[in-house]
Amino acid sequence: MRAAHFCESCGKVQPPVPVDYFSFFGLPPRLSLDVAALEKSFYELSRKLHPDLNARAGSQEQEWSLEQSSLLNDAYRTLRDPIKRTEYLLHLEGVLLEEQSKSATEQARATGELKKQIVPPDLLEEVFELNLHLEELRMNKKMGDDDPALFEEIGKAKLSLEAKHEALLRELQTYWKEWDGLIDRGPDASTTDRQRVSGKLVDVLNRRNYIRNLVRDVNAAMEN
Amino acid sequence: MSYSDKVIDHYNHPRNVGSMDKASTDVGTGLVGAPECGDVMKLQIKVNRETNVIEDAKFKTFGCGSAIASSSLATEWVKGKTVDEALAIKNMDIVKELSLPPVKIHCSVLAEDAIRAAIGDWKKKQEATTPVAAEAK
Ligand code: FES
Repeated sequence: MRAAHFCESCGKVQPPVPVDYFSFFGLPPRLSLDVAALEKSFYELSRKLHPDLNARAGSQEQEWSLEQSSLLNDAYRTLRDPIKRTEYLLHLEGVLLEEQSKSATEQARATGELKKQIVPPDLLEEVFELNLHLEELRMNKKMGDDDPALFEEIGKAKLSLEAKHEALLRELQTYWKEWDGLIDRGPDASTTDRQRVSGKLVDVLNRRNYIRNLVRDVNAAMEN
Repeated sequence: MSYSDKVIDHYNHPRNVGSMDKASTDVGTGLVGAPECGDVMKLQIKVNRETNVIEDAKFKTFGCGSAIASSSLATEWVKGKTVDEALAIKNMDIVKELSLPPVKIHCSVLAEDAIRAAIGDWKKKQEATTPVAAEAK
Protein backbone atom coordinates (compact mmCIF):
# COMPACT_ATOMS: atom_id res chain seq x y z
CA MET A 1 0.00 0.00 0.00
CA ARG A 2 1.26 3.41 -0.85
CA ALA A 3 2.18 5.51 2.15
CA ALA A 4 -0.43 8.17 2.67
CA HIS A 5 1.07 11.18 0.99
CA PHE A 6 -2.29 12.86 0.55
CA CYS A 7 -5.38 13.32 2.66
CA GLU A 8 -7.97 10.78 1.65
CA SER A 9 -10.88 13.16 1.69
CA CYS A 10 -9.46 16.52 0.64
CA GLY A 11 -6.41 15.32 -1.34
CA LYS A 12 -4.04 17.74 0.34
CA VAL A 13 -0.39 16.91 0.94
CA GLN A 14 0.23 15.30 4.28
CA PRO A 15 3.27 15.56 6.52
CA PRO A 16 5.89 12.96 5.56
CA VAL A 17 5.88 9.88 7.71
CA PRO A 18 9.16 8.05 8.10
CA VAL A 19 8.98 5.16 5.67
CA ASP A 20 11.49 3.26 3.63
CA TYR A 21 11.83 4.06 -0.06
CA PHE A 22 9.95 0.97 -1.18
CA SER A 23 6.96 1.81 0.96
CA PHE A 24 7.12 5.38 -0.23
CA PHE A 25 6.15 4.07 -3.65
CA GLY A 26 3.78 1.54 -2.16
CA LEU A 27 6.03 -1.31 -3.22
CA PRO A 28 7.04 -4.47 -1.40
CA PRO A 29 10.81 -4.71 -0.80
CA ARG A 30 11.42 -6.79 -3.90
CA LEU A 31 14.58 -6.39 -5.92
CA SER A 32 13.33 -7.24 -9.39
CA LEU A 33 11.57 -4.03 -10.07
CA ASP A 34 9.72 -2.67 -13.04
CA VAL A 35 11.74 0.48 -13.63
CA ALA A 36 9.32 1.84 -16.23
CA ALA A 37 6.43 1.59 -13.79
CA LEU A 38 8.57 3.17 -11.11
CA GLU A 39 9.36 6.06 -13.40
CA LYS A 40 5.73 6.57 -14.19
CA SER A 41 4.76 6.61 -10.60
CA PHE A 42 7.63 8.99 -9.89
CA TYR A 43 6.41 11.54 -12.42
CA GLU A 44 2.87 11.23 -11.21
CA LEU A 45 3.82 11.76 -7.61
CA SER A 46 6.25 14.52 -8.32
CA ARG A 47 3.58 16.48 -10.13
CA LYS A 48 1.15 16.07 -7.29
CA LEU A 49 3.68 16.82 -4.60
CA HIS A 50 5.21 19.80 -6.33
CA PRO A 51 5.56 22.59 -3.75
CA ASP A 52 4.47 25.31 -6.18
CA LEU A 53 1.16 23.62 -6.77
CA ASN A 54 0.48 23.15 -3.13
CA ALA A 55 -0.96 26.12 -1.39
CA ARG A 56 0.46 29.45 -0.36
CA ALA A 57 4.16 30.00 -0.05
CA GLY A 58 5.39 29.61 3.48
CA SER A 59 2.36 27.64 4.56
CA GLN A 60 2.58 24.41 6.46
CA GLU A 61 1.35 22.51 3.47
CA GLN A 62 4.02 23.88 1.25
CA GLU A 63 6.67 22.88 3.71
CA TRP A 64 5.32 19.35 3.71
CA SER A 65 5.33 19.33 -0.08
CA LEU A 66 8.96 20.31 -0.05
CA GLU A 67 9.87 17.56 2.35
CA GLN A 68 7.85 14.97 0.50
CA SER A 69 9.31 16.01 -2.84
CA SER A 70 12.85 15.66 -1.66
CA LEU A 71 12.06 12.29 -0.14
CA LEU A 72 10.52 11.30 -3.44
CA ASN A 73 13.63 12.30 -5.34
CA ASP A 74 15.92 10.35 -3.04
CA ALA A 75 13.68 7.32 -3.17
CA TYR A 76 13.47 7.38 -6.94
CA ARG A 77 17.18 7.87 -7.50
CA THR A 78 17.98 5.01 -5.16
CA LEU A 79 15.45 2.51 -6.41
CA ARG A 80 15.89 2.97 -10.14
CA ASP A 81 19.57 2.04 -9.97
CA PRO A 82 20.09 -1.72 -9.64
CA ILE A 83 23.19 -1.44 -7.48
CA LYS A 84 21.93 1.36 -5.25
CA ARG A 85 18.66 -0.48 -4.84
CA THR A 86 20.47 -3.61 -3.69
CA GLU A 87 22.70 -1.65 -1.35
CA TYR A 88 19.70 0.12 0.06
CA LEU A 89 17.89 -3.12 0.68
CA LEU A 90 20.92 -4.48 2.51
CA HIS A 91 20.98 -1.32 4.56
CA LEU A 92 17.34 -1.95 5.47
CA GLU A 93 18.28 -5.47 6.43
CA GLY A 94 20.79 -4.05 8.86
CA VAL A 95 23.85 -5.15 6.92
CA LEU A 96 26.65 -2.67 7.49
CA LEU A 97 28.96 -3.10 4.53
CA GLU A 98 31.66 -0.98 6.10
CA GLU A 99 31.55 -2.77 9.44
CA GLN A 100 31.85 -6.24 8.00
CA SER A 101 35.48 -6.09 7.07
CA LYS A 102 36.42 -4.37 10.29
CA SER A 103 34.76 -6.89 12.52
CA ALA A 104 36.31 -9.74 10.55
CA THR A 105 39.71 -8.18 11.22
CA GLU A 106 38.91 -7.89 14.90
CA GLN A 107 37.98 -11.52 14.96
CA ALA A 108 41.22 -12.50 13.25
CA ARG A 109 43.11 -10.47 15.81
CA ALA A 110 41.37 -12.14 18.72
CA THR A 111 41.59 -15.70 17.47
CA GLY A 112 44.91 -15.55 15.64
CA GLU A 113 43.24 -17.19 12.67
CA LEU A 114 43.62 -15.81 9.22
CA LYS A 115 40.92 -13.47 8.11
CA LYS A 116 38.90 -14.84 5.30
CA GLN A 117 39.27 -12.43 2.43
CA ILE A 118 35.89 -11.47 1.09
CA VAL A 119 37.27 -11.29 -2.40
CA PRO A 120 38.63 -14.55 -3.79
CA PRO A 121 42.46 -14.69 -3.96
CA ASP A 122 42.67 -15.29 -7.69
CA LEU A 123 40.60 -12.21 -8.37
CA LEU A 124 42.90 -10.21 -6.10
CA GLU A 125 45.89 -11.52 -8.05
CA GLU A 126 44.29 -10.52 -11.29
CA VAL A 127 43.45 -7.07 -10.01
CA PHE A 128 46.98 -6.60 -8.77
CA GLU A 129 48.59 -7.75 -12.00
CA LEU A 130 46.45 -5.53 -14.13
CA ASN A 131 47.22 -2.57 -11.92
CA LEU A 132 50.91 -3.23 -12.47
CA HIS A 133 50.38 -3.22 -16.21
CA LEU A 134 48.42 -0.02 -16.00
CA GLU A 135 51.16 1.62 -14.05
CA GLU A 136 53.63 0.57 -16.70
CA LEU A 137 51.41 2.00 -19.38
CA ARG A 138 51.16 5.32 -17.59
CA MET A 139 54.89 5.41 -17.11
CA ASN A 140 55.50 4.69 -20.77
CA LYS A 141 53.22 7.50 -21.74
CA LYS A 142 55.01 9.89 -19.50
CA MET A 143 58.31 8.99 -21.10
CA GLY A 144 56.78 9.31 -24.53
CA ASP A 145 57.27 5.62 -25.19
CA ASP A 146 54.85 3.46 -27.00
CA ASP A 147 54.47 -0.19 -26.24
CA PRO A 148 51.84 -1.59 -28.59
CA ALA A 149 52.07 -5.07 -27.08
CA LEU A 150 51.29 -3.76 -23.62
CA PHE A 151 48.48 -1.65 -24.96
CA GLU A 152 46.99 -4.64 -26.69
CA GLU A 153 47.26 -6.77 -23.59
CA ILE A 154 45.46 -4.18 -21.53
CA GLY A 155 42.82 -3.89 -24.20
CA LYS A 156 42.22 -7.62 -23.94
CA ALA A 157 42.05 -7.41 -20.18
CA LYS A 158 39.50 -4.67 -20.54
CA LEU A 159 37.25 -6.87 -22.63
CA SER A 160 37.49 -9.71 -20.19
CA LEU A 161 36.70 -7.34 -17.34
CA GLU A 162 33.64 -6.05 -19.06
CA ALA A 163 32.48 -9.60 -19.62
CA LYS A 164 33.04 -10.30 -15.93
CA HIS A 165 31.06 -7.25 -15.01
CA GLU A 166 28.16 -8.41 -17.12
CA ALA A 167 28.35 -11.85 -15.58
CA LEU A 168 28.26 -10.37 -12.11
CA LEU A 169 25.15 -8.38 -12.89
CA ARG A 170 23.50 -11.56 -14.08
CA GLU A 171 24.61 -13.32 -10.93
CA LEU A 172 23.18 -10.47 -8.91
CA GLN A 173 19.85 -10.94 -10.63
CA THR A 174 19.67 -14.60 -9.71
CA TYR A 175 20.03 -13.61 -6.06
CA TRP A 176 17.41 -10.91 -6.55
CA LYS A 177 15.04 -13.68 -7.56
CA GLU A 178 15.92 -15.68 -4.49
CA TRP A 179 15.32 -12.65 -2.36
CA ASP A 180 12.02 -11.85 -4.02
CA GLY A 181 10.97 -15.43 -3.47
CA LEU A 182 11.47 -14.90 0.25
CA ILE A 183 9.48 -11.69 0.20
CA ASP A 184 6.65 -13.41 -1.65
CA ARG A 185 6.60 -16.14 0.95
CA GLY A 186 5.97 -13.43 3.51
CA PRO A 187 6.43 -14.15 7.20
CA ASP A 188 7.17 -17.80 6.41
CA ALA A 189 10.66 -16.92 5.28
CA SER A 190 13.02 -17.35 8.18
CA THR A 191 15.68 -14.92 9.35
CA THR A 192 18.33 -17.46 8.44
CA ASP A 193 17.06 -17.52 4.87
CA ARG A 194 17.15 -13.76 4.68
CA GLN A 195 20.65 -13.66 6.05
CA ARG A 196 21.82 -16.32 3.66
CA VAL A 197 20.54 -14.46 0.63
CA SER A 198 21.68 -11.05 1.84
CA GLY A 199 25.13 -12.54 2.41
CA LYS A 200 25.22 -13.61 -1.22
CA LEU A 201 24.13 -10.18 -2.35
CA VAL A 202 26.92 -8.60 -0.33
CA ASP A 203 29.40 -11.00 -1.86
CA VAL A 204 28.42 -10.12 -5.42
CA LEU A 205 28.48 -6.40 -4.68
CA ASN A 206 31.97 -6.67 -3.26
CA ARG A 207 33.34 -8.51 -6.25
CA ARG A 208 31.66 -6.03 -8.52
CA ASN A 209 33.39 -3.15 -6.74
CA TYR A 210 36.77 -4.47 -7.74
CA ILE A 211 35.80 -4.98 -11.30
CA ARG A 212 34.10 -1.61 -11.58
CA ASN A 213 37.14 0.23 -10.25
CA LEU A 214 39.39 -1.63 -12.63
CA VAL A 215 37.27 -0.88 -15.65
CA ARG A 216 37.32 2.78 -14.64
CA ASP A 217 41.11 2.79 -14.23
CA VAL A 218 41.68 0.91 -17.45
CA ASN A 219 39.57 3.36 -19.38
CA ALA A 220 41.36 6.31 -17.83
CA ALA A 221 44.80 4.87 -18.54
CA MET A 222 43.98 4.00 -22.13
CA GLU A 223 42.41 7.31 -22.95
CA ASN A 224 45.00 9.84 -21.95
CA MET B 1 38.62 16.13 3.18
CA SER B 2 42.19 17.08 3.77
CA TYR B 3 44.98 14.65 4.42
CA SER B 4 47.23 15.03 7.45
CA ASP B 5 50.87 16.03 6.95
CA LYS B 6 51.99 12.53 7.83
CA VAL B 7 49.76 10.97 5.20
CA ILE B 8 51.03 13.42 2.62
CA ASP B 9 54.61 12.70 3.56
CA HIS B 10 54.15 8.93 3.21
CA TYR B 11 52.23 9.45 0.01
CA ASN B 12 54.93 11.60 -1.57
CA HIS B 13 57.81 9.58 -0.18
CA PRO B 14 56.50 6.08 0.35
CA ARG B 15 58.97 3.92 2.24
CA ASN B 16 59.82 0.40 1.17
CA VAL B 17 57.95 0.23 -2.09
CA GLY B 18 58.85 -2.85 -4.02
CA SER B 19 58.61 -6.59 -4.00
CA MET B 20 60.51 -9.65 -2.88
CA ASP B 21 60.74 -13.15 -4.20
CA LYS B 22 57.39 -14.69 -3.46
CA ALA B 23 58.78 -18.20 -3.73
CA SER B 24 61.50 -17.76 -1.12
CA THR B 25 60.82 -19.65 2.12
CA ASP B 26 61.94 -16.65 4.19
CA VAL B 27 59.38 -14.39 2.57
CA GLY B 28 55.75 -14.06 3.53
CA THR B 29 53.33 -12.40 1.15
CA GLY B 30 49.99 -10.85 1.99
CA LEU B 31 47.69 -9.74 -0.77
CA VAL B 32 44.50 -8.17 0.51
CA GLY B 33 41.67 -6.03 -0.73
CA ALA B 34 39.18 -3.61 0.72
CA PRO B 35 35.73 -4.53 -0.49
CA GLU B 36 34.43 -1.07 0.35
CA CYS B 37 36.41 0.63 -2.38
CA GLY B 38 38.03 -2.11 -4.43
CA ASP B 39 41.59 -1.19 -3.55
CA VAL B 40 44.39 -3.75 -3.33
CA MET B 41 47.52 -3.95 -1.22
CA LYS B 42 50.45 -6.32 -1.24
CA LEU B 43 52.80 -6.48 1.70
CA GLN B 44 55.81 -8.75 1.97
CA ILE B 45 58.11 -9.53 4.86
CA LYS B 46 61.45 -11.27 5.07
CA VAL B 47 61.94 -13.09 8.34
CA ASN B 48 65.10 -14.35 9.98
CA ARG B 49 64.46 -17.99 10.72
CA GLU B 50 66.64 -18.09 13.82
CA THR B 51 65.31 -15.03 15.57
CA ASN B 52 61.86 -14.64 14.01
CA VAL B 53 62.74 -11.01 13.45
CA ILE B 54 61.33 -9.28 10.39
CA GLU B 55 64.42 -8.02 8.61
CA ASP B 56 62.85 -6.41 5.63
CA ALA B 57 59.43 -5.40 4.40
CA LYS B 58 58.12 -4.19 1.07
CA PHE B 59 54.74 -3.09 -0.17
CA LYS B 60 52.86 -2.10 -3.24
CA THR B 61 49.44 -0.56 -2.94
CA PHE B 62 46.94 0.43 -5.57
CA GLY B 63 44.53 2.58 -3.70
CA CYS B 64 43.86 5.85 -2.02
CA GLY B 65 46.41 8.07 -0.30
CA SER B 66 45.47 6.77 3.13
CA ALA B 67 45.95 3.19 2.04
CA ILE B 68 49.36 4.00 0.61
CA ALA B 69 50.35 5.85 3.77
CA SER B 70 49.01 3.07 6.00
CA SER B 71 50.95 0.38 4.20
CA SER B 72 54.08 2.49 4.00
CA LEU B 73 53.88 3.05 7.75
CA ALA B 74 53.14 -0.63 8.33
CA THR B 75 56.35 -1.68 6.60
CA GLU B 76 58.29 0.79 8.71
CA TRP B 77 56.74 -0.51 11.88
CA VAL B 78 57.16 -4.23 11.27
CA LYS B 79 60.83 -3.95 10.40
CA GLY B 80 62.97 -5.01 13.34
CA LYS B 81 60.01 -6.51 15.17
CA THR B 82 59.55 -10.19 15.80
CA VAL B 83 56.65 -11.84 14.08
CA ASP B 84 54.67 -11.91 17.32
CA GLU B 85 55.34 -8.26 18.01
CA ALA B 86 54.19 -7.38 14.52
CA LEU B 87 50.95 -9.24 15.09
CA ALA B 88 50.19 -6.83 17.92
CA ILE B 89 49.91 -3.87 15.54
CA LYS B 90 46.32 -2.74 15.38
CA ASN B 91 44.64 -0.69 12.72
CA MET B 92 43.73 1.94 15.31
CA ASP B 93 47.45 2.49 16.00
CA ILE B 94 47.79 3.43 12.36
CA VAL B 95 44.71 5.63 12.49
CA LYS B 96 46.20 7.51 15.42
CA GLU B 97 49.65 7.90 13.95
CA LEU B 98 48.32 9.19 10.64
CA SER B 99 45.29 11.04 12.07
CA LEU B 100 42.97 9.30 9.64
CA PRO B 101 39.36 10.50 9.60
CA PRO B 102 36.56 7.97 10.24
CA VAL B 103 35.82 7.44 6.53
CA LYS B 104 39.41 6.31 6.06
CA ILE B 105 39.49 3.74 8.82
CA HIS B 106 38.98 0.89 6.39
CA CYS B 107 42.24 1.86 4.70
CA SER B 108 44.09 1.17 7.94
CA VAL B 109 42.17 -2.08 8.36
CA LEU B 110 43.58 -3.08 5.01
CA ALA B 111 47.12 -2.52 6.28
CA GLU B 112 46.53 -4.62 9.38
CA ASP B 113 45.03 -7.35 7.21
CA ALA B 114 48.09 -7.22 4.98
CA ILE B 115 50.49 -7.65 7.90
CA ARG B 116 48.47 -10.59 9.20
CA ALA B 117 48.19 -12.20 5.80
CA ALA B 118 51.94 -11.86 5.18
CA ILE B 119 52.79 -13.40 8.53
CA GLY B 120 50.22 -16.13 7.99
CA ASP B 121 51.78 -16.96 4.64
CA TRP B 122 55.26 -17.06 6.16
CA LYS B 123 54.11 -19.34 9.00
CA LYS B 124 52.51 -21.71 6.55
CA LYS B 125 55.78 -21.95 4.68
CA GLN B 126 57.67 -22.70 7.86
CA GLU B 127 55.33 -25.54 8.73
CA ALA B 128 55.64 -26.91 5.24
CA THR B 129 59.43 -26.73 5.14
CA THR B 130 60.19 -28.21 8.56
CA PRO B 131 58.20 -31.42 8.66
CA VAL B 132 61.24 -33.33 9.89
CA ALA B 133 61.73 -31.13 12.91
CA ALA B 134 58.06 -31.37 13.73
CA GLU B 135 58.05 -35.13 13.50
CA ALA B 136 61.17 -35.46 15.60
CA LYS B 137 59.43 -33.94 18.59
S1 FES C 1 39.64 4.29 0.05
FE1 FES C 1 40.06 2.24 -0.23
S2 FES C 1 41.74 1.80 0.93
FE2 FES C 1 41.39 3.87 1.19
